Formats: sequence, C-alpha cells, structure tokens
Amino acid sequence: MSELIGRILKRERHSSRAPLSVAAAMVIGLLAVYGLLEAVLRAVGQRPWLIDPLTAARRLARLPEGISPVLLGAIGVLLALLGLVCLGHAFLPGRRARHTIADPRLAIVVDDEVIASALARRARLAAGVTREQVIVVVSTKAVQVNVRPTSGIPLDESHIRAAVEDELEQMALEPAPDVTVNLSGSGVIGV
Amino acid sequence: MNGTPRAVNRVVLAIAGLVLLALGAALAALAVVPAAGRLWQDWAGPQMGRLSGLAARTRLAPGGGSWIWLVVAACLLVLVIFMVSWVANQGKGRTNVLFQRQGTAADDGAAGKVVLSTAVAEQSLKAALLERGDLLGVSVTSYAFRGQPAVRVRVLPRQGVAPHEVAADIASLVDALDALLGVQVPVLVSLGSGTRARFTKAERVR
Repeated sequence: MSELIGRILKRERHSSRAPLSVAAAMVIGLLAVYGLLEAVLRAVGQRPWLIDPLTAARRLARLPEGISPVLLGAIGVLLALLGLVCLGHAFLPGRRARHTIADPRLAIVVDDEVIASALARRARLAAGVTREQVIVVVSTKAVQVNVRPTSGIPLDESHIRAAVEDELEQMALEPAPDVTVNLSGSGVIGV
Repeated sequence: MNGTPRAVNRVVLAIAGLVLLALGAALAALAVVPAAGRLWQDWAGPQMGRLSGLAARTRLAPGGGSWIWLVVAACLLVLVIFMVSWVANQGKGRTNVLFQRQGTAADDGAAGKVVLSTAVAEQSLKAALLERGDLLGVSVTSYAFRGQPAVRVRVLPRQGVAPHEVAADIASLVDALDALLGVQVPVLVSLGSGTRARFTKAERVR
C-alpha cells in the first residue's frame, strides 16, 4: 500500500506531457493523412489534389532555389524552435507546482496556490490588514510573504513570520519550504 | 494516476523534437550558407533521378501509378494508426470495479461472486464532501493503477481554507469508508484551485 502511494505521489508531482503529446499526434496524423491521400491518388493514376509527391520531392531536391532565402530561413528557425520545445518537454523533469502532505493512509497533493491562499489568510489575520495588502508566493522550497502595512500602523515582522511558520508546521508539507517576510517600506492609505 | 503512457509521451516527443530540430537547422543552413545549398543539390539531384527511375520502372500498368506509392501509403497508414492509438491512450485507465471476490468452497461453500462498484466509494465520498461550505468543487473518480483500483478525490477549496484541515477531514471520511467496505483501496486526495475558486469570495466565517 505505502509503495503504491509513493508511486501515485511521484506521478502526481510530475506533468504527464499529455497536452503537447496530443497536439503533436494531431499534427503528425493530419500530415500523414494528407501524404496518404496524395500517395494513393498517385498510385491509382489520378490527378494530385494539391501537389504530386514526385514534384514535391523534386522541388525539395533543388531547395535553396525557388523560394526566397528569408522565408526559407524563417521556416527553418520556426521548425527548430518547435523542435526545442518538444525536446524540452521530453527531457526536463516537468515538476508541477505542488507539495505533498505525509499521511499513512492517503496520498495527498496540494497545489501551491491553495497553500499560498491559506498562508495569506493567516498572515492577514496576524497583521490585521486587508486581503489586498498581502501577497504570498509559494515555490518548492521557499515561501515569500509580502505585506504592505496600512499607513501609520506599524507591523511586527516576527509576529507575522511566527504565524505563517506555525501554519506551515501544521500543514507538514514535503518538501518543507522556508519563510521570508517582506514588509513594504511604504504603506497604503484609504483601506 | 491515470494510465497516460508517460514514458511513450516523452520518447515520441524526444524523437519528434530531434527530427524538427535537425530539419529546421538544415533549412536554415540551406538559406544562409551557399556551400550547404550546393552540397545538398549535388547529393539530392542524383537521388531524385534514381527515385523517378524507380517509380517509372515499377508501374503497375501503362499509364498507371507505381506500386512504391502503395508502399508509401501503407507506411503512412501505420503512422496514422500509431498516432490515433497514442491519443486514445492519454488519460485512460478508468475502472468501475472497486473490489471483487469469488465465492469458494473453502470459504462458505456458496457459489458466485461479490463485486463492489466504484460508484459506492465515489458517491459516498462525493455526497459527504458536497455538504461542506468551504469546498467549491468535488470530483471523485476511480482508476486502475498498476492493475489495482484506486480512488482519486479532487477538491477545490475556497480561498484561504487550510489544506491540512480539509485533508484530515477527508482522511476520517476514508477511514469510515474502509470500516464500511471492509477493504482498503489506495486513495489520492488532490487539493487544487480552479478559476471558480479564484473568483468567488474567500471564506470569512467558519
């Protein structure tokens, strides 16, 4: 059971690469269907729909002629960029913005956005400011709490940090992030 | 935890990426370097001649096409079939059997089989979670993960809801479900936020 849960968590923390795979499969499939059509038309001796495969191959063989070099270069660069995107998807780890919570029975994953909004609420209550004055950024190993105080009311940074750290400790996230609290130098008025 | 073939995705994307990169670099080189253009024409010209010679020699009937086009068509057909099956395999793996057990003579002598549908777990968890005001969306689905049924609970809490508290509540629900069913299936709890959670008001009173 725990081994299975470990595997589930590992899968949930990484992207499956399904959207790009579906897009790539659609494009390759459509191109192949078109090629199929032209090849069959040629095989049964009908006129080609757009271009005859042999003519296309002949044009390719003569390549830098017959097309403006700027257009050819642009197509080349575009294809190379698409290739780089595909390679990046294939080889980068593709970690998703998620943390896990250790539990003996369940596999629990939490999107970083949910963690951020929970921490923002706690920081807001500790600082006594409105929602708009707190911005929390959660990444894998760091939590950054940015608070803009209300003008004329000083805030205690260590108090906010203690509150956020207490909340994080209760969450028991894996990997556990470190907290930094930034108090903005200028306050806001009219809240 | 669905059955998306992740390794296949990465391998095919790597191949496609390498091919596109090589093709793009070659085209850019043809456009920019004149020597590359000459080299390509010198190599491709004779190849072209050989190809058209082959196409002319392998005509099926006078005036008709050559069978090499049928070979090309067959290869492309295989490619199309592979692409369709690749797309069809993304996100598959749903199951509707949570637990099944064959009655044996050693047990109680009764013939037959007991099958628990995944709807039992899905609907009871969903009904229990939908009552809560701090969750905006709940979806419970079941997948066969490595041949074993597993339940996935996706909840979208309101802004500001502490995730560990929701998780602890779901854990107690799952414990109750375990006691009710008498079997333990792996359960994944995924807490996320969607557009709906982003644009509805935050939870202010509990």
